[in-house]
Amino acid sequence: MHNIPFEAANFIDLNLMNILYLFIVGFIGGLVSGFIGSGGAFVLTPAMMSLGVPGLVAVASNMCHKFPKALVGAIKRARYGQVDVKLGIIFGIFAEAGVFYGANIQEKIKAAFGDAGSNLYVSVAFVLVLAVVGGLVLRDAVRTYRSGNADSEEKVAKLASWVQSVNIPGTMIYFKSLKAKVSVLFIIPLGFATGMLAATIAVGGFIGVPSMIYVLGAPSLMGSATELVVAFVMGLGGSFKYALHGLVDIRLAGIILAGSLFGIQLGAIGTTYVKPFMIKLVMGVIMVIVLFSRALMVPVYLSQLGLIETLTDTTVKILKNTSFAIMAFALLTGAFIVLQAMYKGHRAERETAEKEVMETA
Amino acid sequence: MAQQYGNLKKKPLGKMLVYGALSAALYAALLSNQAAVTALFTRGAWYAALPIATAFAISFVHGGFTNYFWSVMGIEATKKSLRTRPEEKRSYDRERPQPQPRLRARV
Repeated sequence: MHNIPFEAANFIDLNLMNILYLFIVGFIGGLVSGFIGSGGAFVLTPAMMSLGVPGLVAVASNMCHKFPKALVGAIKRARYGQVDVKLGIIFGIFAEAGVFYGANIQEKIKAAFGDAGSNLYVSVAFVLVLAVVGGLVLRDAVRTYRSGNADSEEKVAKLASWVQSVNIPGTMIYFKSLKAKVSVLFIIPLGFATGMLAATIAVGGFIGVPSMIYVLGAPSLMGSATELVVAFVMGLGGSFKYALHGLVDIRLAGIILAGSLFGIQLGAIGTTYVKPFMIKLVMGVIMVIVLFSRALMVPVYLSQLGLIETLTDTTVKILKNTSFAIMAFALLTGAFIVLQAMYKGHRAERETAEKEVMETA
Repeated sequence: MAQQYGNLKKKPLGKMLVYGALSAALYAALLSNQAAVTALFTRGAWYAALPIATAFAISFVHGGFTNYFWSVMGIEATKKSLRTRPEEKRSYDRERPQPQPRLRARV
């Protein structure tokens, strides 16, 4: 961070179209984040950069919009009894350490291999993590749906049962979301990995939420809600770090926040209408679609590094635009599933209520 | 949705308007003084507190507005989600290992 140039002079002029664009992207991102605990932010950095915002300012402003959004979402979902504050804070502290370490690695890669090397590292991390974790999450969601047990209580995964059974004296903490004591020694690497991913691809929740569900044994609703606390802790520390270097464009953060706070409230409300496996389904679908978006960019960076044949400008432009379009499609798909599930849940509840009224009358 | 349950509770229209006005004022102040805000907020060091404090202020004011906005629109959480739930037992894929009785030999 010490070599970060002062980029305030590059802050863009905002017109009505830019404001509307950021507001809408913020709303959709917020909707998804409110539902699955994260995942809305990854499209915002490229969205801001497409308006001409310098990369670091986009990352910093995205981070600064993330922590207040996560705070509002966490408070909302805490009202529904879905948040484990203790787990979120402990997880978040180690995630913060991961963010700093991840940012340090990024800087070293950038210094050694330049922008193309750094971008390649980010894309490869995206593809690997999303392929493994996204594939597992999606498979689990589909299996639950097909098994016909979507309504029943979620089972604790075998790995999580083992983690909960391990007793390491002096490190055990009780978490209400797990209804069990777990050694903090298991939380350290999970939090750290979440932070590292957040520093690399801007969405730590793609590791945070699945690890809370499958490794620690939290129910999907509680895992996704607790991730908002983690995002708040990580985002606050990260924003302060960037703000110290004058990189936060509060206008951008504020406008995105204007849309995303509408979205996150709606997404949080949506979690009360759906079956738990829907959280996994939305997360899995987004992760797998985004995977293709980033995979498309790998040849561009390999070409820039001279590791494969140089691509023509037209090819690079097509790949970049397609990649961004797929990323936006991922977010829209997630938002569509959330809204559709909400609508169905809302309708079902209305019918039940009408039935009750008829029976009483 | 509140309508469908026979207007069980009053919609928070007044609160929405108050928070909405505050939110509009905050955004108007931010966007009508863009040059001054940008220059001041990007000085770094202790000035780093300014964007952070503004983000908190937005989350409180605009967050309050958006919360009441959806309530006024009739979009609220299911009633069952707001009920306090007793602790439920959760099922496990396998039995947890039970503590084994140990024999201690006395020498």
